[in-house]
Amino acid sequence: MGKHHLGEFEEIVMLTVAILHGQAYGVAIIEEMETRLKRSVSIGSLQTVLKRLEEKGYLESEMGEATKMRGGKRKRYFKVTNMGKEVLRQAKDQRLGLWNAIPDFV
Amino acid sequence: MKSDKPISPPQFLLKFFRLFCDPKMVEDIEGDLVERYELRTERKGVRKARWLLAKDVLQLFRPGIIRTFKGTQKLNYYDMFKHNLLISLRSFARHKSAFFINLIGLTSGLACALFIYLWVADEKGMDKFHTLDNLLYQVMLNHEESGMLRTEEWTQVHLADVLEAEVPEIKIAVPGTPKAWFGEMPLTYQEKTVKAEGKFVGKEYFNVFTYPLIHGDRSKVLAKKEGIAISETLAINLFGSAEAAMGKTVEWSLLQFSQNYIIEGVFADTPDNSTDQFDFLMSFEVFRDMVGRDVQWHNYNSMTWVVLEEHTDVAALNAKLKRFVKERAENSNVTLFVRSYADKYLYGNYENGVQAGGRIEYVRLFSAIAVFILLIASINFMNLSTARATRRTKEIGVKKAIGAGRGQLIAQYLEESLLLTTLSALLAIGMVWLLLPQFNTLTDKQIVLAFDQNLISTILGIVLITGLVAGSYPALYLSGFRPVEILKGRIRSSVGELWARKGLVVFQFALSVTLIVGVVVVYKQIEYVQNTNLGYDKENVLMFKNEGKVNANMRSFMAEVENIPGVQSIGATSHPIVTAGGFTTDLHWKDKEAGVEVRFNNMSTGGEFIETLGIEIVAGRALDPTRETDYENKIIFNETAISIMGLEDPIGKTVNLWGKDVQIIGVVKDFHSQSLHDAIMPLFIRLDEEFLTDMVVRIAAGQERQVVERLTAFYTSYNEGFTFDYHFLDQEYAAQYVAEQRVSVLSRFFAGAAIIISCLGLFGLAAFTAERKSKEIGIRKALGATTASIVRLLSTDFNRMVGLAILVAMPVSYYLIKGWLDGFAYKIELNVWYFAAAGISALLIAWLTVGMQTLKAARVNPSKSLRNE
Repeated sequence: MGKHHLGEFEEIVMLTVAILHGQAYGVAIIEEMETRLKRSVSIGSLQTVLKRLEEKGYLESEMGEATKMRGGKRKRYFKVTNMGKEVLRQAKDQRLGLWNAIPDFV
Repeated sequence: MKSDKPISPPQFLLKFFRLFCDPKMVEDIEGDLVERYELRTERKGVRKARWLLAKDVLQLFRPGIIRTFKGTQKLNYYDMFKHNLLISLRSFARHKSAFFINLIGLTSGLACALFIYLWVADEKGMDKFHTLDNLLYQVMLNHEESGMLRTEEWTQVHLADVLEAEVPEIKIAVPGTPKAWFGEMPLTYQEKTVKAEGKFVGKEYFNVFTYPLIHGDRSKVLAKKEGIAISETLAINLFGSAEAAMGKTVEWSLLQFSQNYIIEGVFADTPDNSTDQFDFLMSFEVFRDMVGRDVQWHNYNSMTWVVLEEHTDVAALNAKLKRFVKERAENSNVTLFVRSYADKYLYGNYENGVQAGGRIEYVRLFSAIAVFILLIASINFMNLSTARATRRTKEIGVKKAIGAGRGQLIAQYLEESLLLTTLSALLAIGMVWLLLPQFNTLTDKQIVLAFDQNLISTILGIVLITGLVAGSYPALYLSGFRPVEILKGRIRSSVGELWARKGLVVFQFALSVTLIVGVVVVYKQIEYVQNTNLGYDKENVLMFKNEGKVNANMRSFMAEVENIPGVQSIGATSHPIVTAGGFTTDLHWKDKEAGVEVRFNNMSTGGEFIETLGIEIVAGRALDPTRETDYENKIIFNETAISIMGLEDPIGKTVNLWGKDVQIIGVVKDFHSQSLHDAIMPLFIRLDEEFLTDMVVRIAAGQERQVVERLTAFYTSYNEGFTFDYHFLDQEYAAQYVAEQRVSVLSRFFAGAAIIISCLGLFGLAAFTAERKSKEIGIRKALGATTASIVRLLSTDFNRMVGLAILVAMPVSYYLIKGWLDGFAYKIELNVWYFAAAGISALLIAWLTVGMQTLKAARVNPSKSLRNE
């Protein structure tokens, strides 16, 4: 906890970026989240979170090659940084710790 | 829907997106938008995709995505602004002492101005809350007396009825008594008695004055003779709640009168911004029964308020009403006019029938003080900025050399002064917020710092004006330098500029000295009022209400009180003593010229009133309560009355009072039976058993506490159901001058603020001069100058300025303070010492301020100041 706190949405976004492994750019992330989690995500909310996570240093990004698709615009690919991985692991451990602490959960 | 060619999305949406999006993110997000649009056209169709695209774009319009305004070429003004801000902040940081002097000066100046604004706004808002405010008027009467007009608000009891019936412009007229006539009266419900202030008013009262009613109908509350309306607090005190009070019966009593009333209405407690504060209202019909129902045009026992028809020309109405009373009553000396009800508070004074100030003078006075204090603080800023100009000349030179226009430099300095003023304003608001409770105690108001539109716009206005005024001179002066000269290091400070700076200091100090003179004189006058010989001895006199069993058995009560150890004498009176009481013009004497009306103060007394108050008898004897004939037809006059009647050797002569011959048995020395604002009036004293509202008791000096205890014990056992509420006459007297006292205290604070701010400026200038002349001082010292001679060298200039300021301030303050004193009939002589004291104190303070700086400068080791070249 403390300064490495991740919001729920932030965590999901980072996990999705990790799942896509090198192929994570805006639309792909949204598609992935929509199919896996059945929740609709707007570009606006995703992009602000991506920007915030990048500023915190949990994600890094680079521009891809231009293609004929998407009106010739380049994609920005996101990657989880080492620090990001650490934070994710921490979040997971905390969750697990909490789960394990529950007595007799069915 | 299959097509190889990608369907291009609506361009205007993308254009809009590009417009607001942060350029760093625009490419990839636009790509995402297009890709998503393409996917959606395939899945859901073009229409749907377009809508969803629009939604996406709108959802992107959020902080984090929207471009920041930083550093775009289009917004050059912003950059300039930022640059200037930075320069300002740096200059604040570099010239810390000047910055703090300005900040402290402006903050205290603005705080004073804000306080004064709050006070003035509160004063101006008095009595303005009635819905019909602009149509609400009070009837006033001008009495013609020996060629002069005296304006009074007392009117005939039946005037309201006549006015409403006969004057078409008057929609509603309602009569009422002032609550001060009766003071606190007991109201009893079952076993519980509460004392409260009330008055008699006509039945339309609530339709004229829109005090909010909690229960009851505006038109019906006072319609019945036995109806009464009480305040919420009173209802809670008597019945526990406003609801419970409705329809209950209370017993009211005053002197020998008492009556049962049914509570027909409960009104919200009278608000703080109402001059009239009362706890209950009774039907005026009861009062008319008390004073008699026959039409009397020469008795003035009530006030009359009217609501005019809309669009009435008040001047024309006043012209028409002028002779209203004279047309109906033979040899009446009164003319009638109406005056806006809300004006009563601020414009209450009349001189010879013409409106002549009132509290508005204090409002104006303090508004002027606010402006002066801000000016003084602004002058500090001007002086310090221009004096320190040499420090910033390089900056200006470089700026000008690379093409800055004069306008831009002016803008820069104005920005700097506005920045400082804004900072100060924020601090000042905090200061006001912190000190408001104390200020409210001082002024006896309930002001709150409510940030409504008015207050905010006023603060913004004050900040803007102060900032511009303070910044204008430095901005014009500094921006006028010629770059070549500056960069070569040659600046001549022109004679004009030096004069301007000196002139400002003189102006500043003249203002401060004027304020000090004002404070001294106001203080002295108040002191004079408190200690002046009133013609009676106000110390050790106790007053309390005559009520209950005391009133019924007055003589035996007095006899028993006199036997209490420590009680010297006891009397009773119809007159509140410290303020004007009732009066009559129905007194005639031999040789009285026809058509002359003289107003006599009427004092009905009981017991040994004259002895109790210590009034001096100059001829004849005092009234003797043990002689029955003294009650019937004996009278005592004061000296003024005797001289007005022109009676020589008056003892034993008879005069005709209210149609009955009475014999003069004594003359008392003049004493003040009303405010010192007014001259002593002719007065007569009689023995009477009716209408004696107050008991007065003189007790032995030095044992007040014991005597009061004995009196309380006796009173509570004698007069069951009543509490012994007493007050001392001297306190009652002091309470009359509470307005002047508040003004005195307030002005002391503001004058203090003014002089402190002025001194701050002087301090800054002195420090600066000493700093600039450090080399000169060093050389002089090296050549053998003494510390004293250097201090003299440095402070001569300041002494001259302050001296000149004192000279300027003297006539101005004399003129102003004389105007204030003229409002008192009895006042102090203006002593030259008041002015000298103010001047000397200003000089001393200035010396102290400058002296510290110069001394410090003069004691510096010359090797230090000369070494660093």
